[in-house]
Amino acid sequence: MMIRRRSGPVLVSVLILCGFAAHDANAAPPTRAEAFRFLNQATFGPTSAEIDRLTALGDSSQAYAQWIDEQMAIGPSLQLPAVQAKYAVSKSPWVLHDARQDIWFKHATRAPDQLRQRVALALSEIMVVSQHSELLFMPFATADYYDMLSRGAFGDFRQLMEDVTLHPAMGTFLNMLGNRKPDPLRNIRPDENYARELMQLFSIGLVTLNSDGSVPVNAAGDPFPTYDQLVIEGFAHVFTGWNYSDATLFSKARRTHTTQVQPMKAYPEEHATGSKKLLSYPGVAQPVLPGGQTAQQDLEGALNNIFNHPNVAPFISRQLIERLVASNPSRAYVARIAAVFNDDGQGHRGNLGAVVKAILLDPEARPSAAATTDVTGKLKEPLLRLVQFWRAYDAAARNGNYHFTDSDRVFGQGPLLSPTVFNFFTPAYAPPGEIGDRGLVAPEMQLANENLNTSVTNYFYTQIFLRNSTKKSLGSAIVIIDIADEMAAAGNPNALIALIADKLLGGHISPMLAGEARAAALRVAASKPAARATEALYLIATSPEFAVQR
Amino acid sequence: MDRMSRRRFLRALSAGGALYAFGRTPGTVWAQSTGVSGFADYKALVCVYLTGGNDSWSTLVPRSAAEYAAYANSRQNLAIAQDALLPVQLQNTNGVEFGVHPSMPGLRNLLESSRCAVIANVGPLIRPVTKAQYQNKTVPLPPQLFSHNDQTNQWLTLRGRQQLRSGWAGRVADALAGGLTEQQLATNVSLSGNSAFSAGEIATPYIMGATGAKEFTGFGNTGTNLQRQLAFERIAAADYNDVYARAYADVQRRAVLYAKQVNDTLEAAPALATGFNAQSALATQLKTVAKMIAVRDRLDMSRQIFFVATGGYDTHDDQLANQPGLLSDLSESLSAFYAATVELGVSQNVTTFTQSDFGRSLTSNGDGSDHAWGGVQLVVGDSVSGGTIYGQYPLLQIGSPLDVGGGRLIPSLSTHQYAATLSQWFGVPVDQLDAIAPDLQNFSPTNLGFLNA
Repeated sequence: MMIRRRSGPVLVSVLILCGFAAHDANAAPPTRAEAFRFLNQATFGPTSAEIDRLTALGDSSQAYAQWIDEQMAIGPSLQLPAVQAKYAVSKSPWVLHDARQDIWFKHATRAPDQLRQRVALALSEIMVVSQHSELLFMPFATADYYDMLSRGAFGDFRQLMEDVTLHPAMGTFLNMLGNRKPDPLRNIRPDENYARELMQLFSIGLVTLNSDGSVPVNAAGDPFPTYDQLVIEGFAHVFTGWNYSDATLFSKARRTHTTQVQPMKAYPEEHATGSKKLLSYPGVAQPVLPGGQTAQQDLEGALNNIFNHPNVAPFISRQLIERLVASNPSRAYVARIAAVFNDDGQGHRGNLGAVVKAILLDPEARPSAAATTDVTGKLKEPLLRLVQFWRAYDAAARNGNYHFTDSDRVFGQGPLLSPTVFNFFTPAYAPPGEIGDRGLVAPEMQLANENLNTSVTNYFYTQIFLRNSTKKSLGSAIVIIDIADEMAAAGNPNALIALIADKLLGGHISPMLAGEARAAALRVAASKPAARATEALYLIATSPEFAVQR
Repeated sequence: MDRMSRRRFLRALSAGGALYAFGRTPGTVWAQSTGVSGFADYKALVCVYLTGGNDSWSTLVPRSAAEYAAYANSRQNLAIAQDALLPVQLQNTNGVEFGVHPSMPGLRNLLESSRCAVIANVGPLIRPVTKAQYQNKTVPLPPQLFSHNDQTNQWLTLRGRQQLRSGWAGRVADALAGGLTEQQLATNVSLSGNSAFSAGEIATPYIMGATGAKEFTGFGNTGTNLQRQLAFERIAAADYNDVYARAYADVQRRAVLYAKQVNDTLEAAPALATGFNAQSALATQLKTVAKMIAVRDRLDMSRQIFFVATGGYDTHDDQLANQPGLLSDLSESLSAFYAATVELGVSQNVTTFTQSDFGRSLTSNGDGSDHAWGGVQLVVGDSVSGGTIYGQYPLLQIGSPLDVGGGRLIPSLSTHQYAATLSQWFGVPVDQLDAIAPDLQNFSPTNLGFLNA
């Protein structure tokens, strides 16, 4: 039988407790451990240089905020130019998508706009489009969609909703592009796909939420649906008449290299002109759109109707917290962030920059040792585990690229490679066992199974043992990690373990794991520093401790 | 699962008269007292999940004049030409002639040789519902009808309006656990990732790759490889301070425990003469299932439930262009897998069945169809009383008494009946079917009769 699980007392890691020794957190600069935690949330992985920089910005009370402000001032690193440049070499959609994925890995590993790129990844997992669709034949649109998310990462959510809605990548993925008005004689109705998923996944969700993200229920214990089929049909009619932007007639619109990266255009002849039922909620301004409006007027009214729904703030805030900081935020944390979403302090609703800043500065994201519980933090998604490892070990290929085709085959995920609009994992996923039993969630656990864990672990084996800086004859496209520091420390296994723990775990390694890694190093003769270093590094990089973002 | 539904589940499980051991301590024998004893025979259920909502009104289509006319009028440009349909002789058709999609000759052969049953107009229901009851909201309905993930969740978990996280196959494994203590591998095996279908309240599924179990690089029986593996295993078995590391470590531990065992076992599988399309994700998974079944005795398996899945069925666009490839793949894959079970001598022991998010709307959105409700499912195997339609194939007419709008048809049979019939064949005692299909008591009959014991 395989139904079994450990029991027995939980061993408290002395090192973990010591690492968060009490001090007045705000009146002193961030400790290296605190900086490590912060950068784990706000970037694709802490580096020694970035920890140095953050800890030199002064007291915590302003260092984090200053770091965030500096990051937000950096413009987006863009993917589309790299994909367009590749077109000179190959017109194959697969090759072009490879270029798109490669530039994602390069940006994640090297780009200066780390916070922006991290938030763009989070947004790409909420407002999902995927190469695994007709978008295979639209690599420019796919790259440009991601660039749109990067540009909008700290912008206005209402604007982002509109940009997403009118992007040909989304138009193609969820069928709003080319969606026509009804034709009752031929039993043709508008396509409901985008209408449904815009509400269900991108903005408000299926059921009414309290401002802290909790779900109110009626006497029978049932939640309150946010909309019904008639509302979906209303929005489906709103989203008619849009197509590629290059034509004078709907029927003549065509996909070109240019039109696939331009917002869709409204064509009146295919827009449904009747009235349209929208969402109803307390304080709603316009629950029904009048007939006879233009496609643009309907779009503005419909997006405003969604944007002002009370669900948007807790729905989006909670998901951004989940992506950046914690799988199981307290209700109070969600409520605090939702309040910022509703009003950034300047009277603006939907200021994503303010929301991201509030998420990262929140006391729950910056907990003291005493406030750290067994649900603090989250499991890292596999893609983040890889890139964090690369950043910690200064990974690079001689040709300067970060080539990693079809990472979803190894890691179960990749940039804009979700199997469906429901992302690689859903926000409410709870694996069987303790997490589900306790009413908790762990979305990233949906990508943890025997099959994927083995392939991820094997990937780390290859990277650590076969693609490190001692290997001189590897191809120029092979990404190599730098283990020179570890080899230099290999004569002193304690120092070696401390060094690895510092890079990968912010110094917090359990005595058990430290002991195992040290023993592994000592099984190798001191005359083989690379083998010593890599044996220890492998056990730590594949450990449950590195899999978790605390 | 909240406490209420857990209690209800446990009560249902123990309806056989005994307590159900509960906990997760290593070595505990779970369900020694559920009244289920070991099985002398072997049975496997194979769920083929069609992700996105198969347009099953195109899978089996009425050919008789009146019924075809209703279909063609509803479907307009999505209708398949009457003379292109592959005629098939079926029982229980109320005199209507049927044809299968032109790209599914394999399915026609399975139907005509009575190895495949058609379950007509089945879908998630909590209790039977009429159009008037639907419109007046006087009967409880599954939440968020027509939504992909909610209706998928309904199919896989049968949770109705409860907060039930486990899947119905997972609960079948829970219910039979007392009789399966000798099995070296989990009863549930998914070849398509973490699915709610396979997760029990207690039983943990095993998740493998489409072509087999991946093995760990750099592990082995001697020297450095052995030492590395042992260290890795100790780290995976250690205690951790947070729920995420604990859950992740559990997966690491199971992965290393089963990878070599499963692959070593699969290596002993006989080469199959039956051909599977190597280009098909579905056929590739089913070929691995066939190999797993071939080596069942080496792992002491007497009951197994496999989950395989294939996507692309959400045909909002280009339905006419994309559907032939999808349905051809389904037809060929089901045929090949059936042939493999014949080759292995287990065609009576293995029952393959489809599930999908929902049927699709009869109306067109120009070049595709939308999310709907009831649809057709297929069951294949030599325990199947095939060549017959179970339930009533509806008149595909817009505005019919089953149409709740846009050609979304109310199911006439519930997923609870479908799952209960499969579960009962598999060996779940009748008095424990409520634990598998919680709303089963609202429907009659509780066994649809498409499987012989």
